[in-house]
Amino acid sequence: MKLNIEGLLVYFPYDYIYPEQYSYMLELKRTLDAKGHGVLEMPSGTGKTISLLSLIVAYQKAYPLEVTKLIYCSRTVPEIEKVVEELRKLMEFYTKETGEKNNFLALALSSRKNLCIHPEILHANIVVYSYHYLLDPKIADLVSKELAKKSVVVFDEAHNIDNVCIDSMSVNITRRTLDRCQTNVDTLQNTIQRIKETDAAKLREEYRRLVEGLKEANVARETDIYLSNPVLPDEVLQEAIPGSIRTAEHFVGFLKRFLEYLKARLRIHHVVQESSPQFLKDIYEKVCIDRKPLRFCAERLRSLLRTLEIADIADFSPITLISHFATLVSTYSKGFTIIIEPFEDKTPTIANPVLHFSCMDPSIAIKPVFERFQSVVITSGTLSPLDIYPRILDFRPVTMASFTMTLARTCLCPLIVGRGNDQVAMSSKFETREDFAVIRNYGNLLLEMSAIVPDGIVAFFTSYVYMENIVASWYEQGILENIQRNKLIFIETPDAAETSMALEKYQEACENGRGAILLSVARGKVSEGIDFVHHFGRAVIMFGVPYVYTQSRILKARLEYLRDQFQIRENDFLTFDAMRHAAQCVGRAIRGKTDYGLMIFADKRYARADKRGKLPRWIQEHISDGSLNLTIDETVQLSKHFLRQMAQPFRREDQLGLSLLTLEQLQSEEMLEKISQIAQQA
Amino acid sequence: MDEEPERAKRWEGGYERTWEVLKEDESGSLKATVEDILFQAKRKRVFESHGQVRLGMMRHLYVVIDSSRTMEDQDLKPNRLTSTLKLMEFFVEEYFDQNPISQIGIITTKNKRAEKLTDLAGNPKKHVAALKKAVGSTCLGEPSLYNALNIAMQTLKHMPGHTSREILIIFSSLTTCDPANIYELIKTLKELKIRVSVIGLSAEVRVCTILTRETGGSYNVILDESHFKELLMLHVKPPPASSSSECSLIRMGFPQHIIASVSDQDAKPSFSMSHLESVDEGPGLTLGGYYCPQCRAKYTELPVECKVCGLTLVSAPHLARSFHHLFPLDAFQESPLEEHTGDRFCQACQGELKDKSVFTCPACSSVFCTECDLFIHDTLHCCPACIHTQGAS
Repeated sequence: MKLNIEGLLVYFPYDYIYPEQYSYMLELKRTLDAKGHGVLEMPSGTGKTISLLSLIVAYQKAYPLEVTKLIYCSRTVPEIEKVVEELRKLMEFYTKETGEKNNFLALALSSRKNLCIHPEILHANIVVYSYHYLLDPKIADLVSKELAKKSVVVFDEAHNIDNVCIDSMSVNITRRTLDRCQTNVDTLQNTIQRIKETDAAKLREEYRRLVEGLKEANVARETDIYLSNPVLPDEVLQEAIPGSIRTAEHFVGFLKRFLEYLKARLRIHHVVQESSPQFLKDIYEKVCIDRKPLRFCAERLRSLLRTLEIADIADFSPITLISHFATLVSTYSKGFTIIIEPFEDKTPTIANPVLHFSCMDPSIAIKPVFERFQSVVITSGTLSPLDIYPRILDFRPVTMASFTMTLARTCLCPLIVGRGNDQVAMSSKFETREDFAVIRNYGNLLLEMSAIVPDGIVAFFTSYVYMENIVASWYEQGILENIQRNKLIFIETPDAAETSMALEKYQEACENGRGAILLSVARGKVSEGIDFVHHFGRAVIMFGVPYVYTQSRILKARLEYLRDQFQIRENDFLTFDAMRHAAQCVGRAIRGKTDYGLMIFADKRYARADKRGKLPRWIQEHISDGSLNLTIDETVQLSKHFLRQMAQPFRREDQLGLSLLTLEQLQSEEMLEKISQIAQQA
Repeated sequence: MDEEPERAKRWEGGYERTWEVLKEDESGSLKATVEDILFQAKRKRVFESHGQVRLGMMRHLYVVIDSSRTMEDQDLKPNRLTSTLKLMEFFVEEYFDQNPISQIGIITTKNKRAEKLTDLAGNPKKHVAALKKAVGSTCLGEPSLYNALNIAMQTLKHMPGHTSREILIIFSSLTTCDPANIYELIKTLKELKIRVSVIGLSAEVRVCTILTRETGGSYNVILDESHFKELLMLHVKPPPASSSSECSLIRMGFPQHIIASVSDQDAKPSFSMSHLESVDEGPGLTLGGYYCPQCRAKYTELPVECKVCGLTLVSAPHLARSFHHLFPLDAFQESPLEEHTGDRFCQACQGELKDKSVFTCPACSSVFCTECDLFIHDTLHCCPACIHTQGAS
């Protein structure tokens, strides 16, 4: 159908449209008009992707000079494939409607084997790829730096974007890394030696170039061709590479010294935490390495690798990593912390020293993106509370909106279970998590649910350790045996192969009527990337509040930083983080309007306003006062009722006019009025 | 203290919000909307059944009754099993009332096994008796869809092509324990044109959805007991015959009932052929009866297939009763109440028209309310106003 979105003709490749899609497109258009950034939350399964694509493509066609390119970033390969599929549909629709031959070029970068088509990006109108191509400085430089300024960048499934940013800027160095670095350095030295004998002119040429400095790069940036690289700060561009590392031998010597220093630092017996300036001071005192050459380390290494014409860069990843670390640590005095741990917390007897160079400020990685592109849209099914994202990513959005799901029938049923039948409060909080009564009540909850929920149930625990404890305890109490009379039990483990095997068998059991329970962990692989449509997830049970492990030093440092720099209290951030993961977990079950599922929050703390208020609006609005502090018995009754209601035949006609609209229905005054209420501005 | 079975006392049973059933919902949320959808579905059903479709007159139906552990659940009173069997008795009566030349058989499944309670037969009494007997049986273990379907299939596949082959499953459990891949069996069922329908007592189970979708049956889940009854009664009406099913002429006998009085000297008591096998139904010696027009074998009840010559014996009223399926009443036209200009009273019940829409008979243009519309189409099968005018003229 053809839509008119505030004067813009949008081709929408389906005959029906959800009201929230229309509303979403309205907000998106406003964002583009204002040439600003936006934060948009819309439930999964309501057709975010196609709304985004149709609107932006239409915008590109209507104002080719305003928006030249769409950069669509998603998380995983299947998601990227889904986007491409939708895009194909849209393009076919365009061809059919307008009769013109399609002159749009879209490009998807999904895996390494597709990576080499780089020059094509310049001409493509749409680019679809993973976050890392834009955020990770190591890859961004290769792939994304020539993207035009007048592009629209979309981050889909962006609820974890701050963690992606942080990961892309953080460096972990173990002894193994250093050993491999040593090999790298040796190879470098040998190669240099060989080249010196055969082709000394080449090295001289490089030297000359380095004297001239990185002028070219600077020119390029000023003339606005490149996306700036956070690893390559502006000052570096204006200066020449310092003399001490200009010749290849000197540089290798410099690397060796740096390596030796790091090795020495890893030989410790207690935890050290220091800031970047402290680290620089120490390195100066110990091995006389100055701040300046360190800063040029990454650039210098790249130049050297180019000169030596080393084809297989992958082999040199450890030394590249170290060089990035050197540059980052000497460039940013704020926003990073260095933590050296002699052993892991779980295994204090095994020496396994790690140097964490940890980024605490996600805005550093994403800043160039916000600065460079005229519109950046962050969107996901769960972005609540909306206002926290602009704060931690340090940008100013022009639109922030949360959309609800219009439903012909209430297909989600969030229930907060706070007590067992014995009235003992259920909670995973630290003081009571070992409590026998709590564990038993959790077991009873799962047992009762396994008897009334058809096909698949997914249960999430707060951590692997907690899951192991509980399952062991259930086994002793015989609860597990009783559950197995109703359904098979599968468990997610940290091992990816094992987990995918469990997942496959779980799906098989759901498919053939045996019924199954998948025990998994919030923040695990299952909670993030796997969808449990229809019968694969008729109920999701969230045991406890999935707080992040708060004893980690990295986390503590980050919390401190957030408090000092962004005035976000520790507790607020922790709760926000826990709730977004909880929302992600329970959101796995509902993947569309014909889907239905129970969402069971098994912890009395969820009933508190500060927790509940941080759930996405489309979940929150279905939590009535009557479903707040339920006992197991009450939960079972409500669930039974819900499941029966949902099993009634439900056809497309039932949705029409309510949650699914034809073009005529969309154009009625009354409906437009209703639609304007869907989006809630934050 | 003697050992009480678990959950014997009402107060020990599960917590139930019984008042919720009665609750009126003004806010237009869950309950109201779902009921609205249900109402629409009801309308649709009536409408659908009035297209020009061929209906199967001779049906062969196997009813599979789940007797697994879950049938002891007390959400139907007094428990699911008793309630189901009660409704089944009613269903059997109704089934033979509406489909006099059809047959039914009953299978139960529990403890991973399935067994025949009664074979396919056209005599309601036998089935009802078996159902009555089954009330006392215990519910055990898990059901097995595969085994139950397999037993039914073994018999149904030998049924002639012009009759319908149907299975109706009353499924209480949420799981099934199968000895082999059930999807293979579903494929076979589809090839044999056996139509499988399911009535779920708890919730929607995936495998049933697939089973019914593939074989062209219906899948419903009950809301409460009255809804259960309603769903069950839907299966009384014969399903549309598939266009590929064979057409054939069937020889039928219409035996006359010969009444002989004891005073008549010539009358000799004789055995009914249908009583030959069953020993437990009394002496079976009677005076009069129905005599097969072909071979003169005697039967006390109709309809029946002649044991001697294989002729189907029916009485004329039996056939007539199946007739309304063949010549159904046309669907009434639905229009919103606001647009209706004439009388504000329903022609049938004389009540005031209050619902959102009114229904007009296309033949005589009389107006009816929703309830009467349903009653006319479901039960009366003729428009009272039309009959009235015909009678007058």
